[in-house]
Amino acid sequence: MSASEFTVESMLRAHAPHAPEDLRARVLAPRPAPVRRWSLPPRRLALVALPAALGIAVTAALVSGIVRSGNHPAAVQHTFGSAGSSVGSGASTVPDTFSPHPVPSVTGRGIAVPQDNNALKAVATPSIASSRLAHTDASLQIRVGDTDALSAATTKATRIATSLGGYAKSVDYRTPRGGNGAAYIELRVPAQNVKTAISRLGGLGTIVSQELSVTDLQGKLETQSAQIAQLRRRVAALRTALADPALPDAQRVLLQIQLAESKRALAQRLSARRGTVTSGATARISLVIGTEKAIAPVAHHRGRLGRMLHSAVGFLALEAMVALYALIVISPLALAAALVWLWRRRSVERLLHAS
Amino acid sequence: MNAVSTSLDTPSLLGARPAFADVAAEQLDAVFRYLVYLTGDRAAAEDLTAETFEKAFRSWRRFDPRRGSPRTWLCKIARSVAIDWFRAETRRRRREETYSRDVPLVEEFGDGLPGPLQEALRELSPAEREVVALRVLLELDGPSAARVLGISQTACSTRLSRALRRLEERMDDVRE
Repeated sequence: MSASEFTVESMLRAHAPHAPEDLRARVLAPRPAPVRRWSLPPRRLALVALPAALGIAVTAALVSGIVRSGNHPAAVQHTFGSAGSSVGSGASTVPDTFSPHPVPSVTGRGIAVPQDNNALKAVATPSIASSRLAHTDASLQIRVGDTDALSAATTKATRIATSLGGYAKSVDYRTPRGGNGAAYIELRVPAQNVKTAISRLGGLGTIVSQELSVTDLQGKLETQSAQIAQLRRRVAALRTALADPALPDAQRVLLQIQLAESKRALAQRLSARRGTVTSGATARISLVIGTEKAIAPVAHHRGRLGRMLHSAVGFLALEAMVALYALIVISPLALAAALVWLWRRRSVERLLHAS
Repeated sequence: MNAVSTSLDTPSLLGARPAFADVAAEQLDAVFRYLVYLTGDRAAAEDLTAETFEKAFRSWRRFDPRRGSPRTWLCKIARSVAIDWFRAETRRRRREETYSRDVPLVEEFGDGLPGPLQEALRELSPAEREVVALRVLLELDGPSAARVLGISQTACSTRLSRALRRLEERMDDVRE
């Protein structure tokens, strides 16, 4: 800083303005204490809120992990519902009990049977009251040694279905690389033979995974039957009414339209009920048979801690996805806010630089 | 002063909070000077000073002595208050453009400041006067002044040198 600048500065300091007395009196006048409102400065709020949110997320993940890991390592997915939904119907009284076979560990939706455990080839299937109509859906992954065994197992699988009164709806056999291959088979077997079918299919190789779900259709069937009975009564009543010779023409036309409509609805309900009965009578089995490299073995049975951690990590990943989604939604707003902030900042600069 | 006995201009290392009345008594002149230089309007500066201390009183609980001196904190509030005033003034001038354009500023920046320096200050932009006020009159250090202005220290130094150079040039012209 030059000597002349120093002079300017000294002059500015020496002649600095002083606040007038009336302003001093105004500013320094005693004031009532401001009303205390509970608030945190934004930075402090962020310092509290972020770790709190993180803590809640981790706690929720751990709780979820503990709850999902459960005390019993086994559970088979049950889907009971009057209309095929996954929610149990009030009418449904399907016992939630299982056969006393050794029960494999759960992966995802169903049961996963660890490899090399021949005892577990005995398939765990949920039992259901035989008087009720139910649809069974099963999927199995079976590993075989090589493509020759794959071919043989595929043939055997279709034979098993046929021998039990069922059929193979589709067979997709693929051997894309030397030594590797897989067959994707959709089987339909009579519901009463599903246990036998699964048991026999399990003998084709090493079971890698197995999922089984039973959907109670009894409620749906009863609803459809009640609707059909009601429609039949209506059709009979309309026919009786139309048989009356004293019926006015306009009324007759109206009743004829109603009769046609009721007949159409009846036909629809009958068709739907046939579908329900068929669905209950036939079980669907999705079978994947593959060679060693085509089908990776399922991880070994996890302990409770392992399952808990696995579940907690899954839950955390879900939370992260939700957070990411929220970030994606919020980011345009944040960008807009940043632009507004920049614009205001520039406007202040312009304002103060205008001489 | 009941909380600290040291100067209120410096941030307290211990984070002790001085009493608001003490801070107001000590910083009133500084805030007033800053606002006079920034606005170039003594009357407005008086009002804005009062408003600044009103706001400061309401948010005194949020003042953190560890993060800066009371002077820096008050100057930030004063700046925000002044910017609002500038905006309102700009709008008012737009509405009354003809009238405002013909009204010269006759305010004095300092008590008994020589006329040429007064003139020279008037020719500076508010932003330049502001940095002069903060660094010269209020004697804020570089980082504190930069924080008040919301710019980097380098930009703050550049702005100050330019403003002082312009003042000096003007004074040289007068001397010659």
